[in-house]
Amino acid sequence: MSLLQEERNIIVQNKYADNFDFAEIEEFVKGASKDLFISHNFKTKNKMLVQPRGGFPTYKKMFSLYEFFDGADVDVLPCTVDSNTRLNDYTSAAKMLKLSEENEVDMLNGYPLVNHGYRTTRKMMTHFNKPISLRHGTPDARLLVETAIASGIFEIEGGPITYLLPYSKNFPLDKAFLYWKYVERVCANYSVLNEPINRESFGPLTATLVPPCVTIVIQLCEMLLSLEEGVKSFSVSFSQTGSMIQDIVTAKVLRKLARHYAEEINCGDADIHLVYHQWMGAFPANKDYSEQLINTATIIAMMVKADKIITKTRDEAFGIPTRESNAKTVANTQYTLRMLNGIPDITDEMEEEILTEEVMSIMEAVFNDKADTLWRKVFNSIKSGVIDCPYSPHIINHNEVVTVRDKNKNIRIIKKGNLPISDRCFEYEKSQCDLNKDASSIVNDIIHDIGIMQW
Amino acid sequence: MKVVTGVVGNDIHVVANRLIDISLQARGFEVFNLGVNTYLEEFIDAVIETNADVLLISSLNGEAEGWCRELKILKSKYKNLKDVVFMIGGNLAVGEGDADVLVPKFKDYGFDLVYHQTDLNTGLDGLEKYLEENKK
Repeated sequence: MSLLQEERNIIVQNKYADNFDFAEIEEFVKGASKDLFISHNFKTKNKMLVQPRGGFPTYKKMFSLYEFFDGADVDVLPCTVDSNTRLNDYTSAAKMLKLSEENEVDMLNGYPLVNHGYRTTRKMMTHFNKPISLRHGTPDARLLVETAIASGIFEIEGGPITYLLPYSKNFPLDKAFLYWKYVERVCANYSVLNEPINRESFGPLTATLVPPCVTIVIQLCEMLLSLEEGVKSFSVSFSQTGSMIQDIVTAKVLRKLARHYAEEINCGDADIHLVYHQWMGAFPANKDYSEQLINTATIIAMMVKADKIITKTRDEAFGIPTRESNAKTVANTQYTLRMLNGIPDITDEMEEEILTEEVMSIMEAVFNDKADTLWRKVFNSIKSGVIDCPYSPHIINHNEVVTVRDKNKNIRIIKKGNLPISDRCFEYEKSQCDLNKDASSIVNDIIHDIGIMQW
Repeated sequence: MKVVTGVVGNDIHVVANRLIDISLQARGFEVFNLGVNTYLEEFIDAVIETNADVLLISSLNGEAEGWCRELKILKSKYKNLKDVVFMIGGNLAVGEGDADVLVPKFKDYGFDLVYHQTDLNTGLDGLEKYLEENKK
């Protein structure tokens, strides 16, 4: 028996998990409808796929949410899991699920997938014959991903960096890399049975003034870590920055360099997709404005030629959206997309050149790290601040990079910390901003720039 | 001047914490930022370890009171904390809090400076003024 299989046998031995029948699960994946695989939908649907967010604790409410989405002509169904499951606390999830079932109040902010188990969940996931995407935030997602694939969920979001830096203060980053290595291998192994399992990275990160070069570098690193384990379908992603041209340039550079680096490590045969998240920062309290923001994001997604868009709702500023408003965004987004055809291809060559150079300088520093494996190189780079994500609560993050918006709302680096970007690029970034103000006014500008969509 | 700062209790509001860090540095302080999710004992340990002049605790989720009420007891355990300035700021109550009630309450817990729902720069101006006035 392989070491991986030995580890899998141990991982599924959990009193809250189903009794795993790996042979049966393989047969299920082999015979599953191709429509359940988003990797297949990317090839055949010939349109930008629309995916909302959402998850409720009970089977009944989850099923009903899917019915609403189905009625709104959704392309991809989400399965967002609750916060206890994300922290592998299945005991609390079980208790809260029970309370939710008994009292008809939602005591969890998502679907406790491990507690429901794959035998039950599979009935729902195969019912609508649409692809389902697993949305979580789990550093150790081994049991969760085993349960997801066995349930018919063939897209797995996350990664060791993007599910750690924005969400955790002290979960060990090296452990996260190893736990995700397991996930990549399991996804790769299942991928040979039918259509490939798609892996997706979480590009929004902290959604707080993250400079595009940092977003792109982290996307590329997670993609490479996944492809080197044998994953054949991968989505890189990012969220609306607040500047339309910066979104367009980010998408161009991300797409171009994803292809470039995949070929560098001899994984050019993998399919790479681009996912765009509608605004991930704080939303306006005015729900009509929220709808305008969402619609504008849809137009930008078309400008950047995203393969998939992930939607928000008009309830965003207030809490977990209702089924109705969630389905409404899906229908509205589909409507807007049908309207947009033959969008001109525009770019800003100077911006594209600068961003490409920044990303390539950082990637070069990552590859030049003295460690022997890619994950260790990336780990060391985060530790030393070569990769530095603004506003991460994690203790390993360097927290030296400072960004602010320029007059056109582009996110600019005004303090580069240990980011190994050239003087030319750094001077360009700074030259776009008014830095002759005193320090307190710059802090006030930053506060304003973070909450830019609220007023 | 050395300042230890961080967010108290099970509070992970990192954005304000980072802005406090940047602002303090801009004003010339040497900053030791313990980040989010920090317990009172950890703050005191850091103050002693760094020989800090100021402890600036922030809180946004409104649960600060429960995490800070033992400050006086902790302070009494260490002799060399007498000259340290203890400051707390942010959103200091769950729901609508009244500064006229909260400020004396937190001062009674052992804080020298208390700012409830005050603009960051106003709070830091207050700190600088206090340090100036209490110069030895």
